[in-house]
Amino acid sequence: MYKRRLLLGMLAASLLRGQEPQPAIQVTGAVKQALTLTADDLARMPRATVRTSNNGMETVYEGVWLHQVLKKAGVPQGSELRGKALASYVLAEAQDGYQVVFSLAELDPAFIDNEILLADTANGKPLFGAQGRFRLVAPKDKPGARSVRMLTKLEVVQVRK
Amino acid sequence: MAARLMTCADFDWNLPQGFPRPPVPAGNPMSAAKVELGRYLFYEKRISVNGKQSCGSCHRQELAFTDGRGRAQGTTGEQHLRSSMSLMNVAYVPFLTWANPALTSLEQQALVPMLGQTPIELGLKGREKEFLRALRADPIYQRLFPRAFPGESAFYTLDQVTKAIAAFERTIVSMRSPYDRYRWGGDPSAISESAKRGELIFFSSERAGCFQCHAGWNFSGTIQFEGGKKTGALAGFFNTGVSTYEAPNRGLYEYTQRPEDIGKFRAPSLRNIAVTAPYMHDGSLATLEQVIDHYAAGGRIEHTNKSRILHPFTLSADDKRDLIEFLRSLTDQALLHDSRWSNPWPQATR
Repeated sequence: MYKRRLLLGMLAASLLRGQEPQPAIQVTGAVKQALTLTADDLARMPRATVRTSNNGMETVYEGVWLHQVLKKAGVPQGSELRGKALASYVLAEAQDGYQVVFSLAELDPAFIDNEILLADTANGKPLFGAQGRFRLVAPKDKPGARSVRMLTKLEVVQVRK
Repeated sequence: MAARLMTCADFDWNLPQGFPRPPVPAGNPMSAAKVELGRYLFYEKRISVNGKQSCGSCHRQELAFTDGRGRAQGTTGEQHLRSSMSLMNVAYVPFLTWANPALTSLEQQALVPMLGQTPIELGLKGREKEFLRALRADPIYQRLFPRAFPGESAFYTLDQVTKAIAAFERTIVSMRSPYDRYRWGGDPSAISESAKRGELIFFSSERAGCFQCHAGWNFSGTIQFEGGKKTGALAGFFNTGVSTYEAPNRGLYEYTQRPEDIGKFRAPSLRNIAVTAPYMHDGSLATLEQVIDHYAAGGRIEHTNKSRILHPFTLSADDKRDLIEFLRSLTDQALLHDSRWSNPWPQATR
């Protein structure tokens, strides 16, 4: 009887693990199309890489340019990024509540070559642990404070409505 | 143009893939023979005035090359103001000791405990010739010195002693802890689930935020590495509210005389931190639990120079256990006991 209960418990636990939601990035706020992007979704988008060196240790991050993600969400870019939209920003939030902002203009390749990557892979392997499943990589920032690890949400905020 | 740190391409560092090599000064290239000489000299007790201590007395391998004391004690019993720092990965440290911005080479630093008199550490000053004569007369050194310095016209010089010791110290490289295997080695089972939770607390600025001072793969302040730019800025020194910082133990201020540097000390590497108690420059915190409580309080002592990185935070008992478990996972057990870094002298003689 005990063994049967133990086996049933193990089976239930296994099924529950299989039902755990995949990690995902929420893209919300002042967007035409809110998104929930998993690693599988990002794998189907145009991919890019950024190479970084941190204290002599090199890492090649792979993912999707952040501006591509915003384009998918219908955020104004290029010739459409004008007027009140220029007073908008992206609030990037991590699992622990850490937040940083990027203006829409600095994320738009029509304005500046900033190359901010939404990464899901490092050196060919999925991100994990304190990196989270997703992170930002802002290689042209001098400090690393805006290269948000454990990224969970991108909220577009329109200051002037 | 920023100066580039020198390389030593021929020496086999045997580092795990992806880790940078340490810089090596052009005037002291590495060789296995020099490292071996350095190991003998590192554990050589005749270097002290009374034959009781060697470098290895305050830098014990099993304690990650610290000594387990709150404040170091010299061979004549004089107590140092500060605790012995770990020599793990010391080759990567741009500014040596707790707070001396002028001490930038291991060769230079080796002379401090040897010749310093306030306090006396090894007490070699005034006895240098006697010490070198003892080396010259020893059959072991008669074999090791010529191999370590081939082609040189003279052996058994103090310059060669410090170069050999420095070369040995450069090989004390710690990169094979369980966390390294987890983080870079592709082994998800290398650390416990508790340590994994602790990792998140360590790397979150919203929680403990330890990574903000103990950063990068070395969990320390600024480092240097082969081919990297030589750092000129005095980065990696912080006032963390450990004491009221009275003279003459005011940290970086003792050299810069800038009031804003009072209480600033180097953020050492947290690798092997579980075996290097007690903690802080003055050894005032006995356990990792006390260290965490110190930072959770935002630093014990208020001081005008206290780093703004510090902020109070709350950890549950479970969180604290997880964070400590993560810190334990930084212990490189193999290096603590590897005979290649151990005392080569027979126990009865040294």
